[in-house]
Amino acid sequence: MSLKYKTISFELVHDIGHLILDQPPSNKMTIDFFSEFHHLLDGLHSMENLKAIVISGRGRHFSAGADLDQLLSLVRHESQKDSGGETVDLSSFLEKNYKTFLSLEALNIPVIAAIRGVCLGSGFELALFCHFRFCGEDALFGLPESTYNLIPGIGGTSKVSVFSGKSKALELVLHGNTFSAEDALGFNLVDKIFPKKQVVEMAIGFARMITTSYNKEKAKLYLNKLL
Amino acid sequence: MERSKNVEWEVKNSIGILTLSSPPENYLMEPEFIGIEFLQNQIRHEKVKGIIICGAGRHFSGGAKLDDLFQMAKDRDNMTRQLEKGKALLDYIEYLDIPVIAAIRGVCFGAGLEIALTAHLRVCSENALFAFPESNYSLIPGLGGTERLSEKASFPQTLKMILKGDMIDVKEAREMKIADYIVPDSEVLDFSFSLLIKMTEGRSLKVIHYVMLALMNTKHLSMQEAMKEETRMFCELASEEAERRNNNQDN
Repeated sequence: MSLKYKTISFELVHDIGHLILDQPPSNKMTIDFFSEFHHLLDGLHSMENLKAIVISGRGRHFSAGADLDQLLSLVRHESQKDSGGETVDLSSFLEKNYKTFLSLEALNIPVIAAIRGVCLGSGFELALFCHFRFCGEDALFGLPESTYNLIPGIGGTSKVSVFSGKSKALELVLHGNTFSAEDALGFNLVDKIFPKKQVVEMAIGFARMITTSYNKEKAKLYLNKLL
Repeated sequence: MERSKNVEWEVKNSIGILTLSSPPENYLMEPEFIGIEFLQNQIRHEKVKGIIICGAGRHFSGGAKLDDLFQMAKDRDNMTRQLEKGKALLDYIEYLDIPVIAAIRGVCFGAGLEIALTAHLRVCSENALFAFPESNYSLIPGLGGTERLSEKASFPQTLKMILKGDMIDVKEAREMKIADYIVPDSEVLDFSFSLLIKMTEGRSLKVIHYVMLALMNTKHLSMQEAMKEETRMFCELASEEAERRNNNQDN
């Protein structure tokens, strides 16, 4: 079974959902992306044989994050329409997005981000709402919003603060610098690093391993199954 | 440069540098080691974007001088008042909406450590030493040190450090999550300064305030509420950024 949107593709293979951010090369998260992502998630709730979700990016990168120009145009014109033809303004757009991310997090099946290449801004925020983050040794992370005189808009500050502590969050969010997979592991922001060609495959294998009797509250314990 | 109560204050490139200055040990004469109002005024008028707290010479601070403390204790009401003032100052620093770094070299004991724990980041020398020696004198930390330590370190670590009263080195301090960076002794101040510059240069004061606020929110609000607030702040900043871009286009 597979679903094809403009910006995302979704395929169910042996009960594992492969969700791919599908606007290469940078897989920018546009207004259409968020609208489709929301729509897709809504549909997943009723997909009975879905046992896990693995999120990755098409091509070399996970995602370079939101399309800033488009975001700012929401402020200027306030008359953008999403792919469903609905008018969106920035505030309700963001509110819908964080609710979507929260509902992704609330799923009772494993949700794993398989990250290769660039994972920035709201792309990184999406990964932070997944239950597990696997990444390639080439992965590059960052929340660059403050360098544009903005702040992370979909929970980035809170999430990093929970995983890495307040001091590190303060530094990463204000500094806005990019950092490596190894640093991300040290900051407790990713769970595991693999050779980049194996990331998606390892995430799928891991998903298979833990789907039976998955208990989200004890998610981190499942990592012990990985040697 | 200002001087009050054995503290020096100067502002360099929008970074305020607060130096505990009664070397060699930089003992604190009173719990309120610098006036809140003075700090408030400086931050506002000089548009300070970040603060470094450090000690003059080789040490951060040895804390309160025992003799002074017992002298102060003769008048219990006065002592209570002094401690309340000190606590208000430390709360003020902890809840500042600009980042504060403690640059720690040498000794960082007692009230000195309590000050360091209010900072948002601690940059430590390889030779830094930390202790809450109060229990050796049948006292406990008096300026919120127990609470602030236990927010970072585990319960057993906190208990051990405060009840045993022993010194710990940076390695142990790092394990207790109270040393964020460890750098060579001669680089502590420069490192702290350039870190603050990287975090604040080119950022509007509002962005800095909002990042600080978003972080405070994670402590007090539920995830959902914190995210709602974040959205509100993001929209406000985005409107301003959009307007700036519009103006640039018009020009």
